[in-house]
Amino acid sequence: MAMRYLAGPQQHASIATNQIMLQVIYACAPGIAIAIWYFGFGILLNILLASLFAVAFEALALRLRGLSPAPQLRDNSVLVTAVLFALTIPPGSPWWLVGSGIGFAVLIAKHAFGGLGQNPFNPAMCGYLVLLLAFPLDMTTWHVPNAQLLDGQSFTPFSWNGLRQSLLASFPFLIGSESTLVPYIDGLALATPLIEFKMAGTSAILTALDTNAAVLGKAAGTGWELMNIGYLIGGLYLLYRRIISWHIPVSIIVTVSAISALFYAPNSFAIYGTPYLHLLGSATMLGAFFIATDPVSAATTTRGKLVYGLLIGCSIYSIRVWGSYLDSVAIAVLFGNFCAPLLDHLCRPRIYGHRKSRSLPAMQEQDR
Amino acid sequence: MSSTNFLHLPRQQLRRRKIFGGIKPAPHKAASLRSRIMPMPLPPQLILPINQYHGTNSSPLVKVGDAVLKYQALTEKLDHTGAALHAPTSGRITAICSAPIAGHPDNAALCIHLQCDGDDNSLELQPCLNHDQLTGFEVLRKIDAAGIVGMGGAGFPTAHKLRLAIEHGTELLIINAAECEPYISTDEALLRERAREVVIGAELLRTACHAPRCVIAIEEDKPAAIAALRSALAHSPIELMLLHSTYPTGGEKQIVQAVTGLEVPVGQYPLNLGILLHNAGTAYAVYQAVAEGKPSISRIITLTGRALQTPKNFEALIGTPVAFLLKLCGVQEQHHLTTVMGGSLMGLQLAHTEAPVTKTTNCLIAATVEDFPQPEPELACIRCGFCAEVCPARLLPQQLYSFARTHNHTQLQSYGLDDCIECGACAYVCPSNIPLVQYYVAAKQELRTLSVAREQSEHWQTRFQFHQYRTKQEKDSARERRIPTALSPVELLPTDSSPITSVQFSRQLAQQEIADAVARANAKRSSRLATDTQMPQHPAKDKE
Repeated sequence: MAMRYLAGPQQHASIATNQIMLQVIYACAPGIAIAIWYFGFGILLNILLASLFAVAFEALALRLRGLSPAPQLRDNSVLVTAVLFALTIPPGSPWWLVGSGIGFAVLIAKHAFGGLGQNPFNPAMCGYLVLLLAFPLDMTTWHVPNAQLLDGQSFTPFSWNGLRQSLLASFPFLIGSESTLVPYIDGLALATPLIEFKMAGTSAILTALDTNAAVLGKAAGTGWELMNIGYLIGGLYLLYRRIISWHIPVSIIVTVSAISALFYAPNSFAIYGTPYLHLLGSATMLGAFFIATDPVSAATTTRGKLVYGLLIGCSIYSIRVWGSYLDSVAIAVLFGNFCAPLLDHLCRPRIYGHRKSRSLPAMQEQDR
Repeated sequence: MSSTNFLHLPRQQLRRRKIFGGIKPAPHKAASLRSRIMPMPLPPQLILPINQYHGTNSSPLVKVGDAVLKYQALTEKLDHTGAALHAPTSGRITAICSAPIAGHPDNAALCIHLQCDGDDNSLELQPCLNHDQLTGFEVLRKIDAAGIVGMGGAGFPTAHKLRLAIEHGTELLIINAAECEPYISTDEALLRERAREVVIGAELLRTACHAPRCVIAIEEDKPAAIAALRSALAHSPIELMLLHSTYPTGGEKQIVQAVTGLEVPVGQYPLNLGILLHNAGTAYAVYQAVAEGKPSISRIITLTGRALQTPKNFEALIGTPVAFLLKLCGVQEQHHLTTVMGGSLMGLQLAHTEAPVTKTTNCLIAATVEDFPQPEPELACIRCGFCAEVCPARLLPQQLYSFARTHNHTQLQSYGLDDCIECGACAYVCPSNIPLVQYYVAAKQELRTLSVAREQSEHWQTRFQFHQYRTKQEKDSARERRIPTALSPVELLPTDSSPITSVQFSRQLAQQEIADAVARANAKRSSRLATDTQMPQHPAKDKE
């Protein structure tokens, strides 16, 4: 009889951490597909580049920490970070932008704090914010779908031209002469109002509304709507698979809709968008289902999750409407991360057989 | 002490309720339930631990070399925590020495080794035909004499539990047939075939503890046992309650919640609520003891696992070596990976199969790799919170885990480590394969060691101070003897001239410390009052 020491219990549920991570990536698929449809292969290039960099940095970090990389790489967590990070940066970002962002996310935001499970802040959002602070121009320059480039060439994402443009955007050193570069960058600069729209920089939305441009009717607007619906579908899949609990997404979505409905005044010049715009015209769904639910940095108690979502929802709206930053989801999630340990401490459930949840024992008579 | 929270129960309609958390693991019970409960051939040797329950206290009545008859008492209990032990068959005592016992704190215990003679000569039994007319006291006396202990797992002497229940006043007797742990099927097999006997046992237990109500609680996924119980209960005042089949509904605290909706307050027992819990197997043993006059010498054990060709339930004699039982079921040694005593979630792995069956052994799993695959390597905790969703005590296992890893004892206690019942539901759902229960057991052990160390250091500190005091006292008295008129030096403690004992000393020391502290606080307060109006206060310095 071959004896083996088994750590009980001997029976286990089937889903494993690496499976959970894969499921999260699968759940991103509808959103990614729609994003590719509207923004071209730049998105896919971002994801591929970010994943490659992420795995390399993860292996490096593990090696530096004196751990063997193979088993830990298999948990797939770094791929989730890479995909979520890639989805937040503009398609067609140059390779060094992707690399430095994901490098910060993996090396500093994740491993400097002790690796998977120890990071207090969402690594993907940390990487994104560092890029936003360091390279604001690059981070707010997006492709214009179906836009006319200056030289009159039609630019459709799925054409060979579109793919070539995406590749050139990602690897600027491939561009042979300067003549192709200049109109290309000009063409991209056209996208900035869209970005402001995406980040819900409300002045841009208002300008668009004032000039009777049907913002959501535009191809770009529809793209964002569909992308959000894609993330919503992915999020519902995660809920169905019980990989995330409903508390955080529902709390965020309810909070954002409630506040935007409260402040929305149809005929005024106030700078508040409709609830619809706030939910589907920005990164809300991605944030609510994929980013805020990152279990490591989120609150883990049931009531804590609800309050966590409430805080994030409030700050998403506040930053969009009253703040000066363009993007709000990333900052809001990091703000929630800051509060999560306190929320968990305050929202502990009542233990079986106890009257109320226990408070910390009084400080250990330190004054003696 | 009387029950306070539970006084209105007799008129209250009971309904099943949900426990906190819980999991639904694959039951794995069908294999062992295919056959009926089988009697067992006599093994060549029986190993009988003298103390069945840790903390019990019994002493042997027999010597090495004695010939004993079946049902003959082998031990007598020294106090109420003990339970008598009887010879399961006839034979000769070959040794009384330490032998390996699973689940015992030291993994070994003092055992009586009985060489079976194969004749099975027994003492005359005295069945009791009019058992329904016995008084509670008579029932209790018979249970006590039969050496019955709780068959559910803890092995607490049943008679003692009944006595405590009578003291507290019992309003509800719950017969726990919610055998929620995977692989174990003893209660289900027992109820399927001997429901009438279990019901009589429950009646006898109810008589013994004077409970007005009795409920047999069983999980709803055991249709055969439920049908048998229904017909056995046809003319009985005992109620039947079908519980949700969730692990760990059968736990002591959980079944109280599932049946009554009440929670056992921390630091208390169901008895404090006026609830007495007994296992269905115990009820059957009570039936045997009272109606048939048979002491507790056997119990029903599930033998299962893919390494066995014929998994089944045995009515096994106490003291049978595990290996003998496994052989009876056709164990395939080449596939046999490990033997687990108990279910797959809380069971203990047996170091070797020579360990005997005790009165609390309910299940033996001869596992293959398919039963218990090699666990995946432990990954980092991602705080997914699955564990918190299933914890029946509503703890936060993910937080406890991080505190256990950092040895944060204050937080461990504040997050309720002591409330963990070690059911393993958290580790069952953990996607990172963290053996959470092991961490908690280790942390509990650590806390226990620390508190013992603290007590000891306090003890030695007091002793040292007493030693100092005594040497000083001796020196002083020597000086006084030399110069009888000299002034006595300033004394450490206000004592009279007679030397004091160590206990008095520590009491005086404590009193003086309290007095000093009060004085310091008063001084601090008065100095604060004085300086309040003039300037921001300094932290008051203690002056000794």
